[in-house]
Amino acid sequence: MDEEQGLLKRLREGDTSAFEAIIKQHHAFLVAMAVPLVGPQLADDVAQETWLKAMAAINGFEGRSKLRTWLARIAINEAHALTRKGKREVSLDSWGSDPGSPIASRFNEQGAWDVLPAQWHHDTPEELLSQEELQECIRKHLHKLPDDQQSVVIMRELAGLDYAEIAQALGLLEGNIRVLLHRGRQRMHAMLNHFEEVGTC
Amino acid sequence: MLTCREMSELGSDIIDGQLGLRTRLAVFMHMHKCSRCSLYIEQLKVTSEVLQQTSLNGQSVDPQAILEKLNKPRE
Repeated sequence: MDEEQGLLKRLREGDTSAFEAIIKQHHAFLVAMAVPLVGPQLADDVAQETWLKAMAAINGFEGRSKLRTWLARIAINEAHALTRKGKREVSLDSWGSDPGSPIASRFNEQGAWDVLPAQWHHDTPEELLSQEELQECIRKHLHKLPDDQQSVVIMRELAGLDYAEIAQALGLLEGNIRVLLHRGRQRMHAMLNHFEEVGTC
Repeated sequence: MLTCREMSELGSDIIDGQLGLRTRLAVFMHMHKCSRCSLYIEQLKVTSEVLQQTSLNGQSVDPQAILEKLNKPRE
């Protein structure tokens, strides 16, 4: 967050290279978030519009939320503005169903652990993220999640939006959002677990 | 009494503090006795924190091209 504060300070002082750094950090995230809202063709437009709005409004950003949360809210509004013009190309009708637990096979018939959770070598987020290869692996597996889980994980964990906002943006119930988030986290946990056990992605 | 399977299903509600009092108590009792579930729930929490700090890859992003487009007059 300190790095973010520094960038924002430079930006307010009119340093365009700070804006470039912010774009570099968050553009891919904005596009990924917009894809389910407007489709892949228009997602880039949403991100562009978001930067335009963000650039104009950055002095009003008070830092009460993460910058990423603030940008995500702008992007959702921009996506809605586009879909109001009838440009939505994606159908989310099949979204929200629960595929079941990805770790169901790790329990016996009585519901007790059969395959035990392993101890990790690194057990804080900072330690885990200090490994470059792991960061790459996280991104790879994030993209491999089912679309609905991926969107909810991006909106909740990366963007820091609350359940109600996510439910409204995706047209799902908050209960669906919770289930999708849990399944997505479980799958990402399985990925981290594999990495910690085997040492490769 | 909650089973370990049920604990794993409640995982996100546990780390997000979304449980009612009765279930919270049952979870607390289970965790007290079950180091396996404690470990799983703790790791799920770390997973969530890792994701919160994850950035998507911006390597192919060209900020200058984006800025140029922003500065162009609208058609």
